[in-house]
Amino acid sequence: MSESENDATRPDDAPAAAPPDAPCRSPAAGPTRRGLIQGAAGLAAAGVVLARPAIVRAAAENPVKIGFIEDESGNLSIYGIQKLHAARLAVQEINDGFTLAGGPVGSGSLGTMGIYTPTPPTLTSGPGPKLTIVDDGGEPSAHAIVTADPEEILIPSGEKGLLGRPVDLLSSDGQSNNTLWQQLARRMIQQDRVDVLVAGFASAEREAIRPIVDQRKQLYFYTNQYEGGVADAYTFCTGAVCEQQVIPVMQYMVEKFGPKIFTIAANYNFGQLTAAWVRSFAPVLKAQVIGEEFPPLEVSEFSSVIAKVQAAKPDWVMTLLVGQNQSNYYPQAAAAGLHLPMASTVNMAQGYEHKRFTPPSLANMHNAVNYMQEIPTKRNQDFVARFYKMFPNDPYLGQMAQNTYFSIHLYAKAVRLIGTTEQEKVRRTLEAGWAIEAPEGSVFLEPATHHASHYIRLAATDEKQQISFVREWPMIEAWWLQRLGVNLVRHPEYKQYTPQEDPFFKMFS
Amino acid sequence: MMRLLRLLNGPHDLGQGRAFWSGMALLAAAFLAYPAIASSFAASNVAYYLLNIPMALGLSLLWGYGGVLSFGQVAFYGIAGYTYGIVAGNFQDFAWGTAAGAVAALLAAGLSAAAFGYFVFYARVAAWIVPILTLVLALLLSTFLGLTAGYQWRVGGIQLGGYNGMTGIPALQIGGVTFQDYAFFYLVAVVVAACYIALRVWVNAHRGQVLMAIREDVLRTELLGYDVRLEQLRAFVLASVLAGVSGLLYVQWGNYITPSAIGLQQAALPVIWVAVGGRDSLLAVAISTFLLNQLSYVLSSSGNQSALVIVGGLLVAVMMFAPEGIIVGLGRARWLRALAPWRSAVGPGRPGHGE
Amino acid sequence: MLPELTSVLYQFGTNAAFLLLSALGLIVILGMMNIINLAHGEFMMLGAYAASFAVHRGIPFPLAIIAAFFATGLFGIVLERLVIRRFYGRELGALVTTWGISLILAQGALLLFGPYMPPIPIPGGAVSVGVYSFSVYWLILIGICVVLVAGLTLVYRATPFGLQARATMQNPTIARSLGIRTGRIYMLTFGLGAGLAGLSGALLAPTTSIAPYMGQQFVAPAFITVVVGGGANVIAGAVGSSTFLSLIETPVSLALGTFYGTMALLVMALLIIRVLPAGISSLGARLRPAIAR
Repeated sequence: MSESENDATRPDDAPAAAPPDAPCRSPAAGPTRRGLIQGAAGLAAAGVVLARPAIVRAAAENPVKIGFIEDESGNLSIYGIQKLHAARLAVQEINDGFTLAGGPVGSGSLGTMGIYTPTPPTLTSGPGPKLTIVDDGGEPSAHAIVTADPEEILIPSGEKGLLGRPVDLLSSDGQSNNTLWQQLARRMIQQDRVDVLVAGFASAEREAIRPIVDQRKQLYFYTNQYEGGVADAYTFCTGAVCEQQVIPVMQYMVEKFGPKIFTIAANYNFGQLTAAWVRSFAPVLKAQVIGEEFPPLEVSEFSSVIAKVQAAKPDWVMTLLVGQNQSNYYPQAAAAGLHLPMASTVNMAQGYEHKRFTPPSLANMHNAVNYMQEIPTKRNQDFVARFYKMFPNDPYLGQMAQNTYFSIHLYAKAVRLIGTTEQEKVRRTLEAGWAIEAPEGSVFLEPATHHASHYIRLAATDEKQQISFVREWPMIEAWWLQRLGVNLVRHPEYKQYTPQEDPFFKMFS
Repeated sequence: MMRLLRLLNGPHDLGQGRAFWSGMALLAAAFLAYPAIASSFAASNVAYYLLNIPMALGLSLLWGYGGVLSFGQVAFYGIAGYTYGIVAGNFQDFAWGTAAGAVAALLAAGLSAAAFGYFVFYARVAAWIVPILTLVLALLLSTFLGLTAGYQWRVGGIQLGGYNGMTGIPALQIGGVTFQDYAFFYLVAVVVAACYIALRVWVNAHRGQVLMAIREDVLRTELLGYDVRLEQLRAFVLASVLAGVSGLLYVQWGNYITPSAIGLQQAALPVIWVAVGGRDSLLAVAISTFLLNQLSYVLSSSGNQSALVIVGGLLVAVMMFAPEGIIVGLGRARWLRALAPWRSAVGPGRPGHGE
Repeated sequence: MLPELTSVLYQFGTNAAFLLLSALGLIVILGMMNIINLAHGEFMMLGAYAASFAVHRGIPFPLAIIAAFFATGLFGIVLERLVIRRFYGRELGALVTTWGISLILAQGALLLFGPYMPPIPIPGGAVSVGVYSFSVYWLILIGICVVLVAGLTLVYRATPFGLQARATMQNPTIARSLGIRTGRIYMLTFGLGAGLAGLSGALLAPTTSIAPYMGQQFVAPAFITVVVGGGANVIAGAVGSSTFLSLIETPVSLALGTFYGTMALLVMALLIIRVLPAGISSLGARLRPAIAR
């Protein structure tokens, strides 16, 4: 395999770093005059630089570059801007000399016998970082082993910046345009020479840039929840996947409401694949999918879907609806008098529908999330406060933003450990078996699958669309790729698996 | 040979004569020399601006020279892209696999255009119906392709992929040359130049004259003995194959294609490139396509959120103040003003009249 | 049996109403003035935005709808004076220009007002028949459709404005020579079309999320409905085509799912346009002499 272009001995042709207290900027559309002069000087000096070890470099002139592409305008901007702000917060903290606690098995905590209240508190968030406990769950009355939360997860890192260099966030707006995403990814990888790329909301965006990432051997973090299956040696997926969200929520709903399920899923990859998961796991949970509907993404008029649901008489409805048009299902269903309990893996945690829709459209909705702003633990509320201190006008702090936040901190920890930003070495270091203390809880990055094990909570809304976390699973692994035999450490791959390639999915139906 | 050169220098496009062709030769040389000074990234950007030109040229032929507006060029762009992905993906282990894919892509675009064109033109629908029909075709295709997420939607071993699209499309390989990076840039430059020259000869030749006659007056052309439906079908297929060429080059550029390349937003883009440049001149269309794509990228990538507002404003301004197209307006400034005014002084007309 | 039948009728009615409401403004602008208005979706978006503004400042919803009609109508008049009037007789110039306007409006709304506006709650509750329940608001919308169509027909058949407008559309030169101020007629007609689009947008606003690109979902149904309806009698044609297309879409949706319903609608539109290029209303034009005999 030919040597990658991204090794340590690059000439210093990068534009000058911004001062440390402004860690991010959008790259200019072309080389500046300053950049050209530096390039010429850099080429001359390159001969000298080449002789030195990579670590000993002029610190201030060579920032660590994190490339970041999201949709900051257009329909997906309500998600993209959250992720951008979380990335800025992480970069600011790194430059100020902080990191998240972590290590191979996480911080751990003390447990002892205690009394707790078996009814979860009812919470509502906002405005800003405020968390209101509407109902604290009543008197503590049940006995069990109660575990503490470590006091502080944001700890000093021992240096300002990373390896003595400031960290720069180069962010670009993909504008929900696949071609532009490809052009921007190319620019970040080939021209700006970013040390790591953090990008992508929709699966289509990730798949648009993955060929370029693989071609150029670029280290890439995809921090979004998605349908699962990406087995790519250069990609680390730190979002939640189906086995971590679909199965817990189904299990809870079947237990609480009954075995008859009706699925309404967006008619595209994510919806169809997640619906396939629901269908194949129903028998395992002794449940049954009695009907499925796949409205296309453009549809915003749901009277026929609502009629079908009413005719089928399910115990609960699995809604896997995506996008502005499809979110109209909820008010329309409520107006039509359809009040069945609902479950989803997509709503509330990223698009904060429970705050945007008028009650009771989203009442009785359940979602298994790895993060929501309303999580009442001290470590999370500290994080929320830090976020809103930097961005006081943001409407919500969601799941994908938190994933982006801890992923960037995790990258910094790996770089600090191996002592270089050389992408091949950092990639191998990320496979060391890391746990990081994220605001959600302890997150473990699995070496073989490049996916993350998450702390999962089941969020439920009431009529006023307030949140309760009615059940928690401290760690659920992303085990599906393991079952498929993926081991990216030993056998690198560059593809995305679909459920049909897994014989299990046909076993019980 | 002399006859070809004479046709090339014909009157039905901007620019004739020795000075003009020397300028064009210089321009071609500049493009071919560009990779020597540009980074691989810059070259891939310029290649992207260039690869949309064949589709725009085809639309200019159909609309500017033939008087038939089609909104569905992107449909054939997509058909070619997807077909290449399927064929080349299935046969990528063979040396001739990707070349076969390229041939299959163009064939698919041409055949589907022939079928759809027969459906449309042999019904003698009014001229203004064709844009609507072709738009519905593009919508149908993009809606259908968006459905194909399930595993059962595969041809051979290649999945269509639904909205996520088809990824990992292999690059074209002929002989030992893989057309990636700089090699791809040269491929695009050569293909675009070839298309332009071939089309320019075509519009100056007999067939082109017939097409323009149809644009001017359908009944008269028929009375002169030409089968109008066949000529229109021929032009439609040619335009669609050119759109297929662009689609083929696009999947080489990005190794990826989605149904959003065929949707409503994309369908209007070729029409806009052609309208802004000046639809009845191939050269104007080529220039405007390149510049508009470049403008779009520069605005979007600089983080400018008002990129779309600026493009929209530009369109309105061009249509209001340079309705025959900016480049055509510039190119024909001196002698067009003397001819009959383009604007109609009366109000909105019946369907089929006006443009 | 009765609940099932009611449910099918309800779905048929809502599908047809959705098509007709989407097409309402375009009936006037495309059907009568022959302006291919690619900004139609954005006009509807403006109406929805105006209604959302009004409702969240305490104005009752019915008044907010009327306000949306006038606000969008006024915007249409201004746009006509400044831009559209240069494109009469040049349909394809109008096409490109209105596409530019749609970009400016949609992206401008995003920049000025953010990614979404506060939603309008659906008025009315639900009514049950057997195991099915139906939204009262959609039933009201179906009724409003009938009223609007009747009103529009009345305006064009029974008012002096309507007579002058029809004359202008048929033959502007002779109309002018009869003393009709065609410039003013065009202005008012375009304003009416824009206002109607805004009205539809406001009416449909509670059923959808109010966002800058919300107009996109109405553009294709609107164009298809108007073109399939045809130009011989634009209003009747649009009613006929929305009914007919819904008649195709509803059973297919019921049997095979929403996706196949949409595909069936598109394929049927393609066939009708091919077989009856002058639209469904041309059938009516052919039948009338036959009936008169």
